[in-house]
Amino acid sequence: MLVMSRRKGETILIGDEIEIVIAHIGRSRVRVGIRAPRSMPVIAREVKLVRDENVAAAAVPSPGALSGLLARLQPGVRPGGPAAARNQGFEEEG
Amino acid sequence: MPVLETNSFGRVPYAEDAVLEFPSGLPGFDTHHRFLALQFRESEPVIFLQSLEAPGLCFITLPVLVVDPRYRLEVSAEDLALIGLSATHQPSIGDAVLCLTVIAVRESGPTANLLAPIVVNLANRKAVQAMTLQTGYSHQQAFLLQEAAVCS
Repeated sequence: MLVMSRRKGETILIGDEIEIVIAHIGRSRVRVGIRAPRSMPVIAREVKLVRDENVAAAAVPSPGALSGLLARLQPGVRPGGPAAARNQGFEEEG
Repeated sequence: MPVLETNSFGRVPYAEDAVLEFPSGLPGFDTHHRFLALQFRESEPVIFLQSLEAPGLCFITLPVLVVDPRYRLEVSAEDLALIGLSATHQPSIGDAVLCLTVIAVRESGPTANLLAPIVVNLANRKAVQAMTLQTGYSHQQAFLLQEAAVCS
């Protein structure tokens, strides 16, 4: 990885179209300004991680995988079909 | 009582006050704003987040303390403001907020997303998938369950 030292207000160029400005340096955070073509998505890495993780989580798991999870959560209890269960609603979770 | 058609649970009657509102959706699902929190005796302590807008969209979640009893909630002022909470202090789990972790069920076993917990303001049912400010929490945390949590 290329590492560069920059002061507040200084800029880094990536190719001809991307410009990164060190806008502010705080105690534990820096604010970075990014100028890039609209077609180029710019997001924080963790936002992409969470997005990808949500997409993976939303994929319907196989029945075996879900009952495996339930077996872990409820040792000694045979998981039943949620469809037959009663809806406890939300507030009872507390 | 309204009834929701779902792919996973068939027809589910629900109360309007069981609906969670995500003002900015969830990452990857930015256009989904309303979810129903469903819990079934057979699958406790799992809480299913079923979209009211897409019958096929349902997340499996767990109360974050089930996965990590020592979980420390620390999220940004922006995330707190989105669900109508003051940024002056972090909300306490189970008291001011419900804090859920999204579970991905993989062949290798389930993992919990502790990097981005779902925080629900219990006073107004507004919710956000917040980005934790704590370092060291993984978005794919494998977990073993605590005896105490299982027995509760």
